[in-house]
Amino acid sequence: MELETSNECMTVEQAKELLRNGINCQIDSNEPGQFKVGDQVRAKVIHVQNYTRLPRYIRGKVGMIVKDYGIYVFPDAVGMRLGTKPQHIYSVRFTAQEIWGSDASAKDALYIDLFDDYLESV
Amino acid sequence: MSSHSQHSESDIALRVKAIESLLVEKGIIDPATIDMIIDAYEHRIGPHNGARIVARAWVDPNFKQRLLTDGTSTIAELGLAGFSSEHMIVVENTPEVHNLIVCTLCSCYPWAILGLPPTWYKSFAYRSRAVIDPRGVLREFGLEISNHVEVRVWDSNADLRYLVLPERPLGTETMTEAALTSLVTRNAMIGTAKVQVPTPPELVA
Repeated sequence: MELETSNECMTVEQAKELLRNGINCQIDSNEPGQFKVGDQVRAKVIHVQNYTRLPRYIRGKVGMIVKDYGIYVFPDAVGMRLGTKPQHIYSVRFTAQEIWGSDASAKDALYIDLFDDYLESV
Repeated sequence: MSSHSQHSESDIALRVKAIESLLVEKGIIDPATIDMIIDAYEHRIGPHNGARIVARAWVDPNFKQRLLTDGTSTIAELGLAGFSSEHMIVVENTPEVHNLIVCTLCSCYPWAILGLPPTWYKSFAYRSRAVIDPRGVLREFGLEISNHVEVRVWDSNADLRYLVLPERPLGTETMTEAALTSLVTRNAMIGTAKVQVPTPPELVA
């Protein structure tokens, strides 16, 4: 199904197709990734005025790229009807203590999926 | 708490009904489509789908390997892909690692595999506390995680959806795949429970 659906009445058949096949958020693109597995990255401290998938609790924190999931449409752009702005999503590992301080367990970690636009090199 | 959380369920039901009537009247939604979707989530799509994936992984090491490497296409082999489960990552619980899934931004959840998310999964309390104090939250679910075990919290805030592959309990070596499927609970696949073996009747006093 199209990423951006029309505001028309969905038929039973269209809804069945949607439940069966879903909506593909991956996109064919040659967009190079800024980072590779093992890189240390910082989630940018930005105050987005519109829709974003960058939670506030992770901003300014330093983590490590553990996986490159490939290229997906960028919800911050799609949500504003500004096109798909395709980019890499990475799985980024942050230690619990990096985010929450020394009261958090030294053993634990948080994994979160972050787009290229949310990250900067350390 | 914000004021909208203080509305009673009947207030919300009334509001939903009013909005639905208006949408139908304006021809924006077809009641037959809504009925089909409700029927699908009530009768066809639910945690029993995820349980089939888990049980298969327990009995078939090759399937398990593929599942952990490429969740999306391996789940599709069982015909269980679908809406809100388009990009699947499966994470394995082991004696060293316990995984817990949350979506801090809203309620992202693998619908095609686990059905609709439970109310607690969508609550502000779970969404904030699961990341800040996962061990405390798990304790409230009755799960004490040893300090030797790493707790990994996965915030599924982007377009990937997560499924926990729980540990296969001891004492299930002779069970069939179908019998194993019936042991796997929804919460075990979110990470707020472990899979338990039912107590044999002869041991119940």
